[in-house]
Amino acid sequence: MKSYILRRILRALFTAFGVSLVAFMILHLAPGDPVKIMLGPYATEENVQALRARYNLDKPLHIQYLTWIKNIFKGELGTSIRYNRPVGELIKERLGPTLILTGSGLLVAVILGVLFGTLAALKKNSILDYLTTFQTMFWLSIPSFWLAIVLLYIFGLKLRWVPIAGMTSFSSTILPVLTIGLREQAWFARPMRAEMLEVLSQNYIKALKAKGVKYEKIVWKHAFKNALIPIITMIALQLPWIIGGAVVIEVVFSWGGMGSLLVGSVLSRDYQVVQTILLFISIAVVAANLLADILYSFIDPRIRTER
Amino acid sequence: MISEDISYEQLKEEIRKLKRKRSSQANLVWKRFTKNKLALIGFIMVSIIIFMAIFAPLIAPYDPYKTSPLERFKPPSKEHLLGTDALGRDVFSRLIYGSRIALEIGILIVLFEGIIGISLGLVSGYFGGIVDKLIMWLVDVLRSFPIVVLALAIAGVLGQGILNVVIALGTVGWTSYARMVRSKVLTIKELEYIEAAKSIGESNLAIIFRHVLPNVLSTAIVMVCLMMPTALIASATLSFLGLGVQPPTADWGSIIAEGRRYLLKAPWISTSAGFFIMFTVLGFNFIGDGLRDALDPTSRRN
Repeated sequence: MKSYILRRILRALFTAFGVSLVAFMILHLAPGDPVKIMLGPYATEENVQALRARYNLDKPLHIQYLTWIKNIFKGELGTSIRYNRPVGELIKERLGPTLILTGSGLLVAVILGVLFGTLAALKKNSILDYLTTFQTMFWLSIPSFWLAIVLLYIFGLKLRWVPIAGMTSFSSTILPVLTIGLREQAWFARPMRAEMLEVLSQNYIKALKAKGVKYEKIVWKHAFKNALIPIITMIALQLPWIIGGAVVIEVVFSWGGMGSLLVGSVLSRDYQVVQTILLFISIAVVAANLLADILYSFIDPRIRTER
Repeated sequence: MISEDISYEQLKEEIRKLKRKRSSQANLVWKRFTKNKLALIGFIMVSIIIFMAIFAPLIAPYDPYKTSPLERFKPPSKEHLLGTDALGRDVFSRLIYGSRIALEIGILIVLFEGIIGISLGLVSGYFGGIVDKLIMWLVDVLRSFPIVVLALAIAGVLGQGILNVVIALGTVGWTSYARMVRSKVLTIKELEYIEAAKSIGESNLAIIFRHVLPNVLSTAIVMVCLMMPTALIASATLSFLGLGVQPPTADWGSIIAEGRRYLLKAPWISTSAGFFIMFTVLGFNFIGDGLRDALDPTSRRN
């Protein structure tokens, strides 16, 4: 048990190291001088030199990387060229709205997905089951930004039920959260259906039936609970997709979170911000996966005895 | 053992049965695939898009790039099936030409990431050891990023344009191929004919290309269909955010972005462009679903 968790933590640390390398290298992918690209074609030589010195861009790559990491641990995330403000400050402002959006979106997605998946499994091969298969494929075939635009048009512009942009009130969170929830539930509905069917075919369920336990009780008390366990891992695995979808949705709804900050920074070549956000998001995903695996090993002892 | 009292005819029948069993593996997969109605519908849907892309100049009623200031924001009508945009261009014609760009980018991405993923998967699975560990570490690392987010950053650094979108999404998206191919190679590696090839002194390279790759290829082809939806949606997302294909090129993602600015005045621009994306991606998803079921009968319903 202990060795499994230790091994898993070690692997996560290795991944986190790789992730930081990728985020760091982004700046150096640029054809030509990144400083000149950042400052634009009209920058003076002095400014270029000053910026280069500030970001240690005149030092060898590994020194640059180490200083970057050291500064991050010290809480110094650099300065945004676009806003001329510390990156840490910008991210702190934007973190809350993003967490609210992604968190509630994920919650809605999991609830809907589990619900649809369970119903489909219970009514296997019924119209409802086929509809679930179809609807999951349907939602996954729609680009999330287009879904956002269509919902915005119908409920914001035509019916005027909700505000069309910003995050002023509770009602302005409904559409963005709904966009994420509706689309991403498709990731959970099908695995949930498969899990539920798998559990329902197990021998202990048959034994319960033979014992004369009520069907409802078997389904909800025994099968449902066990089928739910793998969904923990599914959530961690789907997290990058949900964050990725949320980035674009933030742009459509002018949601002042990290996603719209990221897109704006990419477009204005504000690389310090881009690097930091990339690092933030990926470390969050690595941590979520680690957490899910550890949690899973506590719930399902078979995992930690493997290998 | 064949008993004495079996007749010649019966023996012939037995042999025929055995032969049928051997050749039926591919047949079975094909049969299961065509029996799946959804997969067939998907096949038709994708064929329509491909047809549209090839014969775009014949189908499109107008020149997709010709602006006519007097015809701005015309709602859908008989002359303009899906209306006109801010520059008076025919939206329907632009969307038809858009299928060319979409398929072109989609195919390029899938090929690019396929080549990277299949080669790394082959190497990783065949050689094992430290090389395997390193490649799988890279897979873990890349999978910790949302595809769109990392591709967005890479495309942002590389600059706009179709090729940069392909490079950005390709370098990020190959991990599924690598994993799939690797696990396939791990089972093939243990088979007798690989051992036989080794014992007669064939080089690793020869074994990989002559014996392993052909057996992995069918899996890889299925992967291509499964990866197409992601490639299409991700590239449309980049265009929508202003990092992919640039206007005035008739691209579905950037048409949605253009239409978004005039959503109240001309909702038909964004909405109809989205339908084209949905139609195409749904077609590929239906095919992918059918292929998955056909190749892995255990996942079938019933």
